[in-house]
Amino acid sequence: MTAVVRTEGLTKFYGDRRGLEDLDLEIRPGEVFGYLGPNGAGKTTTIRLILDVIRPTRGRVTVLGTDPRDARVRGRIGYLPGELALEGRERARDYLAFLGGVRGGVSRERIGALAERLEADLSAPMGRLSKGNKQKVGLIQAFMHEPEFLILDEPTSGLDPLVQQEFLAMVREVRASGRTVLMSSHVLAEVENVSDRVGIVRAGRLVTVEDIAALREKAVRLVEFHFDAPVPREAFEGLAGVRDLRVEGASVRCTIDGRPDALVKAAARFTMVHMVCAEPDLEEIFLTYYSEEGEHHAGAGV
Amino acid sequence: MPVLVSKSLRDYRRSLAGWTVGITAFFALYLSFYPSITKDPELYGRAALAKFPGAMRDLMGGLEDFTSGIGYLHSLVYQLFGPMLFVVCAAILGNRALAQPEESGTLELTVTLPVDRRRLVFERFAALALGLLGLAVVTFLAVWVLSSAVDMNVAFDRILAGHTGILLLSLLFGTLALAVGAATGRRGIAMAVVGVVAVGGYVVESMGRNVDAIAWLRWISPFHYYLDGRPLYQGFPTGDYLVLAGATVVLLVTAILAFDRRDVGV
Ligand SMILES: Nc1ncnc2c1ncn2[C@@H]1O[C@H](COP(=O)(O)OP(=O)(O)OP(=O)(O)O)[C@@H](O)[C@H]1O
Ligand SMILES: [Mg+2]
Repeated sequence: MTAVVRTEGLTKFYGDRRGLEDLDLEIRPGEVFGYLGPNGAGKTTTIRLILDVIRPTRGRVTVLGTDPRDARVRGRIGYLPGELALEGRERARDYLAFLGGVRGGVSRERIGALAERLEADLSAPMGRLSKGNKQKVGLIQAFMHEPEFLILDEPTSGLDPLVQQEFLAMVREVRASGRTVLMSSHVLAEVENVSDRVGIVRAGRLVTVEDIAALREKAVRLVEFHFDAPVPREAFEGLAGVRDLRVEGASVRCTIDGRPDALVKAAARFTMVHMVCAEPDLEEIFLTYYSEEGEHHAGAGV
Repeated sequence: MPVLVSKSLRDYRRSLAGWTVGITAFFALYLSFYPSITKDPELYGRAALAKFPGAMRDLMGGLEDFTSGIGYLHSLVYQLFGPMLFVVCAAILGNRALAQPEESGTLELTVTLPVDRRRLVFERFAALALGLLGLAVVTFLAVWVLSSAVDMNVAFDRILAGHTGILLLSLLFGTLALAVGAATGRRGIAMAVVGVVAVGGYVVESMGRNVDAIAWLRWISPFHYYLDGRPLYQGFPTGDYLVLAGATVVLLVTAILAFDRRDVGV
């Protein structure tokens, strides 16, 4: 299957300022790709290059198998800009009807259903909408024509937690129907639960691309067992993946790296009264990529 | 009608309605003074006008004759005020085509629609042209009706010739604003360019008649191709109007090529 997005040495300089340099990225059909990075990393630059809003200084990009300069391919994409501008007296309903018309027609029922789902106000003049309500209009226009490929630049900014959940459900539905999503964010937590893979950019360069499931398996997690009687330390020593072991009377605390199988089997020999297993803190891993050391780490390890 | 054209016209409609009402009222006000001026030829006759300084008379298009219907209409509507009002309106609309939405950020979503960039520029131009045409038709009818009402005795086809000139001239300036906006994305620059070319062009054309040092500049002034043929007196200056239309086409092509090449919103 051909990639939904393929970039080769994609580079963008704004005058002397580096926006993005030598990006080699592939987004596969049917996946949700999380695109992470701190402010000014180059996320929006990448997205604008993919949509032919700006033109590369060097390198190549293809979208859905063609050059993004081909206007027709843009009809198969839904795009939510990072800095969405909606203004004036025009009502969101009319603007959405216009956008839908240009993209080949979207029924009013479809727009109405999405608006209901996100609790968006389509009848107020767009210039008066709050930030979150503008964002909802932006999401509706991106999703409404059921595009093959959705590009969402910081989709959750300005949304309250309930709407964020609804939005994530919409993304899951898109993936379930076999379509592809590229979404950018500053924090992993926002994309972690819906993404298949994440890429991290920093200062214009792609630092790493990771498979979320594999990462979860690799991630360190904190485990705590409480037994009905004190346990011997030796029973837990030397187990695969177990580190930072602390045995205090009837409680055992450690971190585990990879599969918990050996640890659980060892613990099963005693009578357990309580157990805590923290979610793997992927954010921690990612924050190291955000900083200077992250780059060396990435170069050496992944 | 292509959807981008109708959308642009919908966006322009308030502004266009305002300009139409304003310009019509302005013309109506001036035309309503005509009867009182013909009653008092002493005060406004040739001799009276000759008292104005020569340079000022030049700038006002000669001020040869106020008391005939055609002279009055030419001096007050078709010489300076009519074209200038149309030019300002056209420049504002020309800026709304690309530069203004680019500065406000709304153009980003528009360029990601499945519409070729060249077609986008062309359709915005078409909306500009249709908007100005509407403005011209309404104000033309107003001038025609009112001039007959006050017995100006100016032939229909002469008014049509004058109004066609105003329309072509304003379309040229509107397209200039659109082209500068298409190339730079900055409406301040577009407005400045239109201002310099319009004011400079008018001064060069009107003063250049009597000042030899700048006479040669007249041929690059857009106003030359409107004023020189004296459409109200002599009817359609077809060749000159074709120059205006040709220059508009050149600007449109420039706009299309410039916008197709560059980054949007940077
Ligand atoms: N129009 C521009 N002119 C000059 N430099 C720019 C322009 N747009 C972006 N840049 C620079 O390019 C770099 C990448 O910017 P970009 O907007 O792609 O970052 P981002 O990852 O989207 O950041 P954020 O999370 O803040 O949205 C930054 O250093 C930025 O200053
Ligand atoms: Mg951004």
